[in-house]
Amino acid sequence: MRNFWGLTKRNLLVFFEDKQAVVFSLLTSIIVLALYLLFLKGTFVDAINEVLDSASGLRELISQEDVGAYVNLLLFAGILGSAMVTVPFHCLTTLVKDREKGVDLDICATPVRRWQTALAYFAAAAFSAVLMTGLILTAGLCLLAFQGRLYLEASAIAAAYGVVVLGSISATALFLIVVLFFRTSSACGAFFGILSAAAGFVIGAYIPISQFSEGVQTACNVFPASHVTILLRNILLGGVLDRMDQAAGGLDNGRFTASLKETFSFKAHLFSCDLDVTEMLCYVLVFALACIVVTIFLYPKTCERK
Amino acid sequence: MNAVTVSDLTKYYGDHLALDHISFAVGEGELFAFLGENGAGKSTAIHILSTILKKSGGQVKIFDMELGKQDDGIRAALGIVFQKSVLDDKLTVKDNLYTRAAYYGLSRKQADDRLEPFMKSFELSEIWNCRYGKLSGGQRRRVDIVRALLHDPRLLFLDEPTTGLDPKSRRLVWDYIHRLRREKKMTIFLTTHYMEETRDADRVVILDKGKIIAEGTPGELKSRYASSRLLWYAEKSEERENLLSPYEHTYDSDHYTVKFQDAITEFLYENRRQITDYEILKGSMDDVFLNLTGRELENQ
Repeated sequence: MRNFWGLTKRNLLVFFEDKQAVVFSLLTSIIVLALYLLFLKGTFVDAINEVLDSASGLRELISQEDVGAYVNLLLFAGILGSAMVTVPFHCLTTLVKDREKGVDLDICATPVRRWQTALAYFAAAAFSAVLMTGLILTAGLCLLAFQGRLYLEASAIAAAYGVVVLGSISATALFLIVVLFFRTSSACGAFFGILSAAAGFVIGAYIPISQFSEGVQTACNVFPASHVTILLRNILLGGVLDRMDQAAGGLDNGRFTASLKETFSFKAHLFSCDLDVTEMLCYVLVFALACIVVTIFLYPKTCERK
Repeated sequence: MNAVTVSDLTKYYGDHLALDHISFAVGEGELFAFLGENGAGKSTAIHILSTILKKSGGQVKIFDMELGKQDDGIRAALGIVFQKSVLDDKLTVKDNLYTRAAYYGLSRKQADDRLEPFMKSFELSEIWNCRYGKLSGGQRRRVDIVRALLHDPRLLFLDEPTTGLDPKSRRLVWDYIHRLRREKKMTIFLTTHYMEETRDADRVVILDKGKIIAEGTPGELKSRYASSRLLWYAEKSEERENLLSPYEHTYDSDHYTVKFQDAITEFLYENRRQITDYEILKGSMDDVFLNLTGRELENQ
């Protein structure tokens, strides 16, 4: 196993030694944050307040702090979800660069097995994503705690870290298959640009997925990243939604928070079915496992030089 | 036991025949040279022997291990210095070497033990914490060679190790290679298109368009395919022209150049009273290649 860990360590060093690459791997998260600061927060708050105004008496019961906390956490889930897409992909571009530069020849001539090589790229990218997203999650939770608006129990915090691990693994597993088909790092870079732009929409960071047509919703929810973001929404926003319910005191029989959940996609809509938390977890797990198995078989074929 | 035994090796890239049924053997401890132009098939052969590339046909054995069946054993037994650098530019020399040592299952301690002798002989200490991408061509080549030797291989492939290096760096690299032969008795398999680099090889195989066109020691090849030249410094005269008429000769500014296949000593002895100012140039590997292919090697 030492050769596997050696290659994994090398892949990690190559990624983290390139500071610019590390910053740009968070491109979508930075865009989400920028858009949020510019106008998204205002738009979401206004939309929620409109709903509150339409229901008699609710506006007085539900505080603007809670509405703000809800929107902040919505953004937070979006930032985490997009980081879990872009960080592993950027780390996996090492594989394409290695093939372009001939570094893979050096690896192929060592006793490292082909499947170990594939797993080493996978492990490095997944670890990078867990580390970077975990740091963002920690920083966000610390900020919320500092502001006194961390309405989360310890079990929910642990679950959020668990979802970060699962999301990083599933995105890495999918992208490892994708990068196997790139021959040049310039083509890979161009794809990364498209991915960065599309990721925010696919995970519903800019616009809630529920606003799209059924077909588009299904297309978005095929990707495990959108399930992971929805899972994070459920975990991170659960506390503030409970607070809103308690504040309403049963006046609307929970209809307000139910409508928020529906509008901001707390369930994944896939082929006319709504998947709940357990089903989404299973979907992401099976998806990741299937991708890993495909990669283990596919990688040796793509690195064979005929 | 041979270090390398190749029989009838063939390699096709689509319809293009890159290696055309080549056979050769490399004895253990030999410095073996593959000589040929760019595109002759030298790198293809090395990539096949080192398990990177699949062969289209033929048999290959490395230390009695059969290629295609005992590849793990073969990979552990060989080290390669690639034509282009394959280490990571952003990583330090230290990180590059430690991570590569781990590919062979070496722990940090084992890697340190292996690296210790190289620190002085390859002057690694001064560049140990430098980024590989910031090193000069010669320094990079030194690190590349150390990387290939980390796991103490029995067979070292050097794929055009001095291409692109300045003369001083080329000389340094060759000093290291000779030291390796002396101290480790390692089998070295070299590909090159620099004629003079084959001078010290035990055996040379000349490859042209995927085919072996000649094989032997540098001396044998020169005797067979190159003629020695006599440079006779004297004024041009009819008498001298008559004397040289049985031989191919030319006159340039102040000397005759006379080509001899053999019997140069006898000729000089017979005409010792007339020929007083002269020098003898042995046939070169350049001449060997020129005579065999009708072309001169590139980048000479």
